[in-house]
Amino acid sequence: MEIYLPVAEMSVNWLVLVALGIGVGFLSGLFGVGGGFLMTPLLVFTGIPSTVAVATTLSHITASSMSGALAQWRRRAIDFSMAGVMLVGGVFGTMFGVWLFALMRRQGQMDLIVSLTYVILLGIIGFIMMRESLATLKAYRSGIPVSHHVVNRGWILGLPFKMRFRQSRLYISVIPPIGIGFVVGTLSAIMGIGGGFIIVPAMIYLLRMPTRMVMGTSLVQIIAVTSFTTVLQATHNFSVDIVLAGLLVSGGVVGAQLGVRAGAKLRGEQLRFLLALLVLTVWAGMAWQLVAPPADIYSLAEAAP
Amino acid sequence: MRPRLLVLACLLLAAPYGAAWAEDLVSGISQDTIQITSNYTGTDIVVFGAIERPQSVQGRNIVVVVRGPDHAITVRRRNRIAGVWINNDAARFEGMPAYYYLASTEPVARIAPQDALARYGIGLQNLKPSAIGSHHDPEPFRQAGIRHLQREALYVESPGSIDFLSETLFRTRVPVPASVTRGQYNVEVYLFRNGEVVSAQSTPFFVDATGLERRLFNMAHNAPLYYGLACVAMAMMLGWISAVLFRRPD
Repeated sequence: MEIYLPVAEMSVNWLVLVALGIGVGFLSGLFGVGGGFLMTPLLVFTGIPSTVAVATTLSHITASSMSGALAQWRRRAIDFSMAGVMLVGGVFGTMFGVWLFALMRRQGQMDLIVSLTYVILLGIIGFIMMRESLATLKAYRSGIPVSHHVVNRGWILGLPFKMRFRQSRLYISVIPPIGIGFVVGTLSAIMGIGGGFIIVPAMIYLLRMPTRMVMGTSLVQIIAVTSFTTVLQATHNFSVDIVLAGLLVSGGVVGAQLGVRAGAKLRGEQLRFLLALLVLTVWAGMAWQLVAPPADIYSLAEAAP
Repeated sequence: MRPRLLVLACLLLAAPYGAAWAEDLVSGISQDTIQITSNYTGTDIVVFGAIERPQSVQGRNIVVVVRGPDHAITVRRRNRIAGVWINNDAARFEGMPAYYYLASTEPVARIAPQDALARYGIGLQNLKPSAIGSHHDPEPFRQAGIRHLQREALYVESPGSIDFLSETLFRTRVPVPASVTRGQYNVEVYLFRNGEVVSAQSTPFFVDATGLERRLFNMAHNAPLYYGLACVAMAMMLGWISAVLFRRPD
């Protein structure tokens, strides 16, 4: 059951990794997120060096997203023009992120910045999503239609460079999608995530894209950003383990397919509620790690050669 | 590191010219290369030896030390700042072995005085880095680093683990865990008589990856762009295949 990972230079139980891939892949397919914010911490927990975990998780996200995106594509639920516009920002964001990564590592506060970024982002997004999905679910039960204009979008509507996104039935400025792409690209390089948990809420609440289009479009954006980041990580840090990637991906793609099917049976509001619950669970775990007294205040870091 | 090797070299050179009656040591290892394959989960290497021109068993001790390739380790210390645990201190130690295993007939402190042990770098407490980068007293950091590596079974002291097959023939098993680094390992066998090293022998062995593992590792370092693209292509293809396989008749 043990298999040797050539880049991580360690033996691991491959069944555990495939199972991890299936589990996280299922959630990816269900919510249209990459699952990096779950996978990276879980891999580190199984003893894989964090540099390898961050870089290799990206391949898992690429595959799960590919699998999910094709399923969405058949349902004609992808807005390619929106994904393309976001990708312009994504490429620049990734390059900025890799530069920022090197800067933070020189300052020696990489771990802290990553944890804080996770806690702040997951906290904000989780609570906003939870509040809104609870309000929607409550309104749904009582039968009173709820106003969807919770976020003030006046400033977004006023921006220049407007473009028509036919599939999403939107006529908005390209600046917000490019900005979202840039932020997500940056975070992808720093945190080893696809950024679905940011793109999805941003598309729903900032751009007001139809929920039906959000899943597929975010997956396309994630595929592009994670592919680009994987190549950058492989060439800059030599930290992508192809055997580990193969194991995670094999489980991930199966899980993603099952997730997409399960997702089709649930309503959008229920999906948002469950995603909010998941994000808040991870948030609570990471926040606890930041403030809980560590078992050992000393930790060992293999110095880069 | 260097003075220790120098002492060892002098000893090895001097041994044949020593008095003819002196006790001497001959040792060997069961294999001189360890191949890491895809199902490698760690193995054992057997170190064996014989004592020539033996004198009394009293006051005689054997110490076997296995050292992995040198590398640098960084130990960080967290402190609580504004309620959050932050890494705000670190010490870097260069020239620490990636793997250290010690087998001995008795706990090393009982075998020889501290200065003799320190000279040969015998015992975890005598592992001295070649360079230290730290703003504070590095000792607690060094202790913590050794403690962590002990927990990972990369630093091991195993007194009493040398088997004597006869009065002069001995043997010990040295584990080589799955998490070891590739490179050259040195097996040092010391013969102590009343707290002094009277003979020593050093034998290297190599840990290396073979076959597919080696090719992948080399590709990741020599052709990283193609390696990265291969990873992406594999991920996309598996994703695509699964989407086709799981396609629903709708």
